[in-house]
Amino acid sequence: MVSQHGILYAVHLITNQFGNLVAKVCECLLRNGALTLQAIVRRTELSPAKVRNCLLVLIQHNCVQAFILEESVSGEDAGEPGKALTLYIALFVNILHRVRFSKFMDVVSKELGGSCGELFRGLLEHGRLTVKQIVDRAGANAKESTNTVQEDLGKLVMAHYVECCPAPEPLVPPPDADTKKRAKSSKVMVEPLTLEQRVMAVAMPSVMRRFSFVPNADQVADDQQNVNQPPSKDVGEKRKLHDLESDTALEEEVECNWRANFEELLRRLRHKACVDTIKVRFDDAAATVLSAMLEASRAEEDKVKTANSVPLSLNTIYEEVVKNEKNHSMTFDHVRTCLEELSCPPTFVKTDDESYSIDFTKITEAAQSEEIESIVLKRFGETAYKIFRLLFRAGCLMETDKIADRIFVEKKETSKTLFKMWQDGYLLMEKLVVGGTATGPSYGGSSYLLWKVNKRLLRETVLDEMFHAALNLNLRLAHEIDQNKEVLNLPPDKREGPDKQKFDRLRNVRLLIHSSLMKLDEAIMLFHDF
Amino acid sequence: MSRLQSPSALKRKRPDSNSQGMTDQERVVYKLIHEKENMGIWVRDIKRSSNLQDTIVNKSIKSLLDKGMIKEVVNVQNKTRKTYLAAEFEPSPELTGGAWYDDGNLDVDFINAVKKLCSQKIKQLKVATVESVMDSVKASGAFKADLKKNHFEEIFGALVLDNEVMEVESNGMGEFAGIKVGKVCYKAIGKRRVGAAAAAAAAAEPRIGAMASIPCGVCPRISSCTPDGVISPGTCVYYQKWLDF
Repeated sequence: MVSQHGILYAVHLITNQFGNLVAKVCECLLRNGALTLQAIVRRTELSPAKVRNCLLVLIQHNCVQAFILEESVSGEDAGEPGKALTLYIALFVNILHRVRFSKFMDVVSKELGGSCGELFRGLLEHGRLTVKQIVDRAGANAKESTNTVQEDLGKLVMAHYVECCPAPEPLVPPPDADTKKRAKSSKVMVEPLTLEQRVMAVAMPSVMRRFSFVPNADQVADDQQNVNQPPSKDVGEKRKLHDLESDTALEEEVECNWRANFEELLRRLRHKACVDTIKVRFDDAAATVLSAMLEASRAEEDKVKTANSVPLSLNTIYEEVVKNEKNHSMTFDHVRTCLEELSCPPTFVKTDDESYSIDFTKITEAAQSEEIESIVLKRFGETAYKIFRLLFRAGCLMETDKIADRIFVEKKETSKTLFKMWQDGYLLMEKLVVGGTATGPSYGGSSYLLWKVNKRLLRETVLDEMFHAALNLNLRLAHEIDQNKEVLNLPPDKREGPDKQKFDRLRNVRLLIHSSLMKLDEAIMLFHDF
Repeated sequence: MSRLQSPSALKRKRPDSNSQGMTDQERVVYKLIHEKENMGIWVRDIKRSSNLQDTIVNKSIKSLLDKGMIKEVVNVQNKTRKTYLAAEFEPSPELTGGAWYDDGNLDVDFINAVKKLCSQKIKQLKVATVESVMDSVKASGAFKADLKKNHFEEIFGALVLDNEVMEVESNGMGEFAGIKVGKVCYKAIGKRRVGAAAAAAAAAEPRIGAMASIPCGVCPRISSCTPDGVISPGTCVYYQKWLDF
């Protein structure tokens, strides 16, 4: 479930990029979950044509996915028996990715070079493109030849930065069947998937198909019906089940649209965040070793939030370290020492029988903990910082006096600080009454206040505050620009004296807010995506 | 008549006093106080247990204080409660708060001095146990107070919460050589830099998180802030200060 400020932030991003109408449809889906076209029309009070167009834009840019539920829908959206309804679901994560395009570009350009980067930019700008559209765009912009473009696209697909788009309207089975299947194959309790996860699991093509690019495949596609085009004619129309079967068969033979693979890009950013965390806590050498382990085990990672990397031997790690020219001076013993240090508690690297694997969960939790401690220190002060660290590590309820004794602070100040933190949702509080009578503790009994950090709830609270802060930064920037639009409209040679000062100030404001937004987005990824 | 004790028991005694000059009521109150030894007793508990009238108890306590037979001490657990001890007893750590309290108040200067010294010892030793630091501090004679192992454990706990040291477990190898496997040890927190870089790192401010470096991250009113409300990004005074270059 997306938090309140998460929705507001996402709607703001869509408004900025696509306008109020599209944002209205997007907000409707974010607040109400998956809806049919008719339900969206009813709730937004927009015409069906407008809603359809808005959905097309959102689908094109991978912010909404259409799907069909196998079971019939009852209630206001009930259809005829045997008819399947098309529903639309907002993809909150993909909406958030829209502020990360520059980071994604950076990753791709550094690894694959400028021409791949340029091609990739086109996919980010347009959401999804066919090969022909990619080639036409490259030809118009940089006069690249078709072969070069196809080669670059091949490189991007091979590196998994670009993928074949998901099916436009996949058939999603009921949740019970899916959960039972996963529970049977796993002995561990299986958390049910969200609707969004179930839809995307079904919509995504197989790994083979998803990352299989055949040059000149567009010539084959021209001869066939392309069901993977944005459904300009089919949005909102009810589809019969038997029609879908023939569509599925066609899909295999038809050229696909291509889009950025956010999963892979997110994985790279997660790796980068892990390396940065280790660099701060240890040193550059430890960060180099971790980086090498990530590089060596990257191919085996199958999802973004993987808990551990595959085990690697010391020899493999050393070979990966010295592959980079800058690390040639690093000795085998130095690498081993770094690994031993990383293996000490809090055990960022696990050792098992001469092999080493990265514990991503520990590194992420350490980084999250540091971020929250920073907020607590700045917002509530040093006493609160110590209280927070104590309760976070304890993981259980602790009485006020006990807390005061452990942190060496007077009980009165401790109590005051605990209340402030509790009011802001950073702590849980429970009251314990000992002794007394049924009428109350005042009749010979005592009451104690117990405090605790609930890590899961706290992460949700902090994440929602981050979304709120990101929205505020954007709104403040818009406010500053609005307040100074006269200065912005002045030609450069007319800006003198106070106008020039205002202009310079606005430039600095923009720089500060943009850099703060970038940094805050990294923190949002840490809490939401990693 | 003399108030001193006479060897002869034949002398008639005044009906309301004993050989120490206490009245019967004072004797009752003193007995209750004395029984508690170094734990002391709250005046309300004296009143409840003695079944004497409040005025009698108060008068008795005043008289015993004047005679120097009892003393009032501050109960650090509850400073508003008047607590009394027989004069010959020293108040227990539960009453005084122990080594870290002075006259009922937390001795912050003393605590900080002990923390600073322990932190320095840990940095010198690179990997330290409670025992090794305790021995080193005691040998230095820096403090008059008799600090026990549990005191040092409390100090180390506080240094961990301050993020100055980290608690680790010995694996018996490398830097832990010579320390029993599984023994709790402490290491100073900080990157391994040398020379000018180390000095720069030591002098530098602690790393501020993304959220803490913007006004919203540290705002006490964030829960009341809305895009178009009285408190909003457009009207926010914290933003105004932040953007006032």
